[in-house]
Amino acid sequence: MSTAIRAGGRRHTGRSRRDLAAGAAFLAPTIALIIVLRVAPALAAVGASTKSGLPGSLAAPTFVGADVFARLFAKESFWESVRQTLVFNILVNPIQIALALALAVLLTRRLPASGLWRTLIFLPSAVPLAGSTIVWGIALRPDGPVNGALEILGLPAQPWFTSPDQVVFSMIVLASWIGIGYWMMFLIAGINDIPPVYFEAARIDGAGALRTFFSVTIPMLRRPLLFVLVADTVANFVLFAPVQILTSGGPEGNSNFLMYDIFHKSYELSDPYEASAELVVLLVIMVAIVAVQFRLLRTPEGEE
Amino acid sequence: MSRPRGIPRSLGSAVLLVVAIAVSLLFLLPVLWLLASTFRTASETFASSSPLSWSVLWPRQLTVENLASAVRSGFLTALANSLFVAVVTVIVGLAISAAAAFALAIIPFRGRSAIFTVVVLSFLVPFEAIAIPLSRMFSEWNLTNTLLALILPGLGNGLAVFTLRQFFLGIPSSLAEAAHLDGANWFRIFWSVYLPLTRPALIGAGLILFLFQWQAYLWPILVTSRQELDLAPVAIAKAFGAFTTDYGRVFAETAILALIPAIVLLALQRYFVTSVASTGSKE
Repeated sequence: MSTAIRAGGRRHTGRSRRDLAAGAAFLAPTIALIIVLRVAPALAAVGASTKSGLPGSLAAPTFVGADVFARLFAKESFWESVRQTLVFNILVNPIQIALALALAVLLTRRLPASGLWRTLIFLPSAVPLAGSTIVWGIALRPDGPVNGALEILGLPAQPWFTSPDQVVFSMIVLASWIGIGYWMMFLIAGINDIPPVYFEAARIDGAGALRTFFSVTIPMLRRPLLFVLVADTVANFVLFAPVQILTSGGPEGNSNFLMYDIFHKSYELSDPYEASAELVVLLVIMVAIVAVQFRLLRTPEGEE
Repeated sequence: MSRPRGIPRSLGSAVLLVVAIAVSLLFLLPVLWLLASTFRTASETFASSSPLSWSVLWPRQLTVENLASAVRSGFLTALANSLFVAVVTVIVGLAISAAAAFALAIIPFRGRSAIFTVVVLSFLVPFEAIAIPLSRMFSEWNLTNTLLALILPGLGNGLAVFTLRQFFLGIPSSLAEAAHLDGANWFRIFWSVYLPLTRPALIGAGLILFLFQWQAYLWPILVTSRQELDLAPVAIAKAFGAFTTDYGRVFAETAILALIPAIVLLALQRYFVTSVASTGSKE
């Protein structure tokens, strides 16, 4: 009897050790990728942000502590870049998610051929950001078809990307054409996951469409909605291709979003130390947003 | 689902249908314009847009000259590079993500949930945010201007791991236990029991991996400088930014760049929706 228990116990430890070894083996490539692709470059950026050296100098850069950050924070241009990044994000993310939600609700009602409309709106999501940049960069030219359409409606032609007042709005159009349909698909999946009994109950209680939306759809959709909002924000915070291809941060620095500003400082201004400090600022913002996102992805009863 | 009193149900539905059609057309118009501009001369494209005429969406004189110009300028090489990078990323990335997801969902070991947290958290930080310091490391390791440098960052994808893990969690654990009793090891259980059941999630995760690489723009310009290694988006941006832009060619290349993922997404749309659903309210 006691030998049986002991044997069982030994078998158990043997098995759990084998499980640990198997888990480690299955996870090894992923862990290696995390170290190489995320941890090491983040540490490198933090390291570089505390050093300073003359551009092109052969002398090793010296440790200067927080001096580079102090220099960065004292610059008006840095705060302008932060402000424009925030302005863009405070506009683009709610606009995209609100429209994605409205379309998701519309297209989960039983409309004729709703699958077709869904596919047509989803189709632009296939266009890579660089492709959307080219399409809208040309469509919004002063002599492009959008201004042509405005003139037919009797409205004046607009400067779009060439105007400091309209460049952020133009970026929003470019990002939303491919973004709205993409996030809409997540929300449609979320709406389809809501048990129909809730809608049925609302209908029996005589709730109208608006009431049903706010009392059933929104609360039941909380998790996918928050996930989509945060994921969209993280993606838009590092928007780069349209700025680099179309505006180089202009006009008047109004599209000089953080990611482009960092790139510009690293390569065109050859100030890798200040660029690293700015990158650390961006990383801290990203990690904060992702931490929020992760809390939302966890199930209420813990992650198992 | 109720409606203001007095308005017949069919009228309410008709209004919603009109809205749905109008919005769909709005999203579709740039696609049609891109396609039309691919098959006509750039001068016709600009002439039809100001002043705007109906032919803006339909070429008057069909020509394949833009496609020919794209081919002559070496766009097929860039396209082949993009395809190669994306396909290798999907294959290797799926193997890596599925193995990780299996360990995080099925193999019981201490610290599993902590590792799951680390995996998802670190990959949810957007890659672009660390691309610049990473590109410096790659150049120190002499990886600059290699296909390996283009492929590596796409291999680790938190959403792919997350999607596959959710799917594995949904498979009854009695299957793994039965295989255990038959003496199968974890690798066999993973390969012969779980993977064959996972096709929809594998396709969904494969799409996520594919789209990441097809979108790549910042990373390729950081780690490649030789034209023969240009990926398609980079080649298009270069053509667009050239001193004298051949707009017809830019349209043709952009249309091809968009067409490939469009076909893939249209064919696999329902898998994308299934994979997407796992990030939402389920579990």
